[in-house]
Amino acid sequence: MYFKYIFFLFILFNVAACSDKKEITYNYEGIFNNEKGGTLIDAMSGEPSNLISMIAGDSASSAIAGNIFNKLIKYDKNLELAPELAEKWVISDDQKTITFHLKRNLKWADGHDLTSDDVLFTWKLVTDEKTRTPYGSDYKLVEKAEAPDAYTFKVIYKQAYAPALDSWASLQILPKHILKDEDINHTFFSRKPTGSSYYKLSQWVNGEKLTLEANASSVMGEPNINQLTSRFIADTSSQFLELIADNIDLMNINPIQFARVIPSRPDLKKKLALYKELGNSYTYLGFNLKHHPFDDIRVRQAINYALDKQEVIDGVLLGLGEPVASPYKPGTRWSDKALHPYPYDKNQALKLLHEAGFSDTNNDGILDRNGKPFTFEILTNQNKQREMTAVLIQRRLKDIGIDAKIRVIEWASFVNQFIKTGDFDAVILGWSLSLDPDQYNIWHSSQQKPGQFNFIGYNNKEVDQLLEQGRTELNPDKREKIYHAFSKTLLRESPVIYLYAGYGLTAMNKRIKGIESPAPPAGIAYNSYDWFIPSTLRRNEITP
Amino acid sequence: MLNYLIKRLLWMIPMLIGISLISFFIMHLAPGDITASESAFNPKASEESRQKLRALYNLDKPLTTQYGLWLKRIVKLDFGNSFASHQRPVLWETKDAKGNITKGMIQDALPITLMINLIGLLIIFSISIFLGVTSAVNQNKWPDRLITIIVFIGFAVPGFWLALLLMYWTGVTHSWLPISGLHSVGYEKMGHVAQYVDLFKHLILPVSISSLGGLASISLYVRNGMLDVLQQEFITTARAKGLTENKVIYGHALRNTLLPLITIIGLSIPGLIGGSVIGESIFAISGMGKLFFDAVLMRDFPVVMGILTIGSVLTLFGNLIADIGYAWADPRIRRGISN
Repeated sequence: MYFKYIFFLFILFNVAACSDKKEITYNYEGIFNNEKGGTLIDAMSGEPSNLISMIAGDSASSAIAGNIFNKLIKYDKNLELAPELAEKWVISDDQKTITFHLKRNLKWADGHDLTSDDVLFTWKLVTDEKTRTPYGSDYKLVEKAEAPDAYTFKVIYKQAYAPALDSWASLQILPKHILKDEDINHTFFSRKPTGSSYYKLSQWVNGEKLTLEANASSVMGEPNINQLTSRFIADTSSQFLELIADNIDLMNINPIQFARVIPSRPDLKKKLALYKELGNSYTYLGFNLKHHPFDDIRVRQAINYALDKQEVIDGVLLGLGEPVASPYKPGTRWSDKALHPYPYDKNQALKLLHEAGFSDTNNDGILDRNGKPFTFEILTNQNKQREMTAVLIQRRLKDIGIDAKIRVIEWASFVNQFIKTGDFDAVILGWSLSLDPDQYNIWHSSQQKPGQFNFIGYNNKEVDQLLEQGRTELNPDKREKIYHAFSKTLLRESPVIYLYAGYGLTAMNKRIKGIESPAPPAGIAYNSYDWFIPSTLRRNEITP
Repeated sequence: MLNYLIKRLLWMIPMLIGISLISFFIMHLAPGDITASESAFNPKASEESRQKLRALYNLDKPLTTQYGLWLKRIVKLDFGNSFASHQRPVLWETKDAKGNITKGMIQDALPITLMINLIGLLIIFSISIFLGVTSAVNQNKWPDRLITIIVFIGFAVPGFWLALLLMYWTGVTHSWLPISGLHSVGYEKMGHVAQYVDLFKHLILPVSISSLGGLASISLYVRNGMLDVLQQEFITTARAKGLTENKVIYGHALRNTLLPLITIIGLSIPGLIGGSVIGESIFAISGMGKLFFDAVLMRDFPVVMGILTIGSVLTLFGNLIADIGYAWADPRIRRGISN
């Protein structure tokens, strides 16, 4: 009797098996010519929240909005400022006025003209008290903004403000003709936007996927790839299964997949191309400079010598990262090539600690000073890479007789109960390698109130002065000198120890062509406009 | 009977207030709020703007005031809008002056979860009853042993692990079934029948995985209930009357075994709206589990409270329905209530 059922199940499975997809073999190698059309499917871990980027805070939203909207100026492949909607910008001699000259014949995706009036409208929105944006402060420094004619937009600052250009390279311009009567905080526009860039929203299925299609009326014209579909798949293992089953074309992968899984499987190597690009952030060990003994520069330097950064990169990132010696992205003008990270030097570390008064008087293997053992706690949030980093640090510190304990805390508690209150010895965290060199909010001594970002309590007059100077100097060459000097002092004083900057790792199906490798400083996505899918390699796009 | 019903319904009001009060305060005991997760570590976002947001959401007011404001809205069945930057309505869609519709978050997630759980419940009960009866009839013989071993393995295996293995096997090595999601990418272009087939194929794995854990408990429940019933005197009477064994088991014993299952069905009603976070994440299904989990991580209080409120209402109603169902099925209890 039971066999009847088992037999029935067996038949069912065979019926299912009959619907097998035909195994299609593509020939990915060879020379392909640029052609238009095709669909690129990728996976996102989170669903965008709001496509008005001045209001959204999540990375998924900015990734999509970046394809739909334009800014006045942008960062090019070498992360230098370049024209986007504006064909040029002029800075007055007193450095207080910036005049943007817009390109002619700019259009919104719905056919309306895009003029300086839209830019002025966007500035008014972002500075409006009622707008629910966390990013308004940079734009509020503008004393007067005006649009004297349709192609000119002028901003006048109370005093010269160097990060201004960076702020105009991140403000996405919104259409006045659609939004003028809308409440920006609650508007359909956040989920059904009209932009000016080379893609426009075609469909958004909540919780499932979002599709963009080419916008031929953009200032750059039509991109090669006709459609971008982003599927929302929260779990990265599921994303990876979809990638190797050829259902998605690209995803961000982790070091193990990049260095171990894909290279060891010939079938995957045949159809997937791997790209690495330096990410936009670095990981550091930061000290509470108000706590003993971290107020002593010799102690901080000693710990810097005692940590082997390459070991951390090899162990945590499987070698897929770079050490940094300044808070700027290597390869850009702000990062000083003459600076090098502290080498691993145990003896130098011990020597500095002895100078600072530490020695192991009771022979328990732990250094002490005035009868107190050198022991402290390293805090970090729930992040696998940071946890692994902490363990490696703990071991190296033990080598020189420092007893470090590790504590891992959920993010919201971490920020509220430890960072804001200053109740910590040391933290492992990350900062972004900012495109604009201004880091006043992070290092200036005035930024130490609860909720501000100099929570380590760094206080250095020389650095304060350089940061203030850098903020008011718009000439890139002069700024470069200022920030190189700033980086040098920061490295010497070691208020934080730079650990590594990890690579962003991407696996992409080889049907996507036209990707620049090795990646330029701006990353592989900078020329996604030029990517293309040869028609012989396209998947059958009608049937699933 | 009517008196009993009214009394039970009235009792729900203080219960609901109590539940919402406790959930509200526990939720707010967790450190941080929406501004901490959204933009806490972006140096471009200033502390003043975060304070502004806090004031906008009344998060700067004392907890009791916040609870009062929430209660005032909820009695008008206004679940409010999410704190997330999309500001979507928590429960149901709204329409603006120009006729643009914004869908509610629960409105989007609930049908998906409900569908999966209802199918799952149906599968769990039909398979478990079959397995339980088979085990009981063959007590301590090989079918009983085999079934027990299999359901316990199903219960013990971590769902996410089995899900990934099955996804790999049916999706990557054989491409029999889709790997994740509920619809294929080209879903909109398919015909009606093809759309149903597509949905059916996408549902096979998630439903199987979500049913697996329930099989063990329900089938053991049926097995033990059946064994108890089979030892009772009316079964001996039935056999003595000369009824066939099939009639004894399916006509008399099974019906009495199923009585306690009514309670289990009633108690599983609130579970119908709760999804598994891990299951939904792995299969890329945006159901209630992930909605709730993400809302808790973001400290999106209106969404958390909305789901908790609906959950507790359903729990209370589920209990009531179970009791009524019990009374309907069993005359002994009916008499007890009327007296």
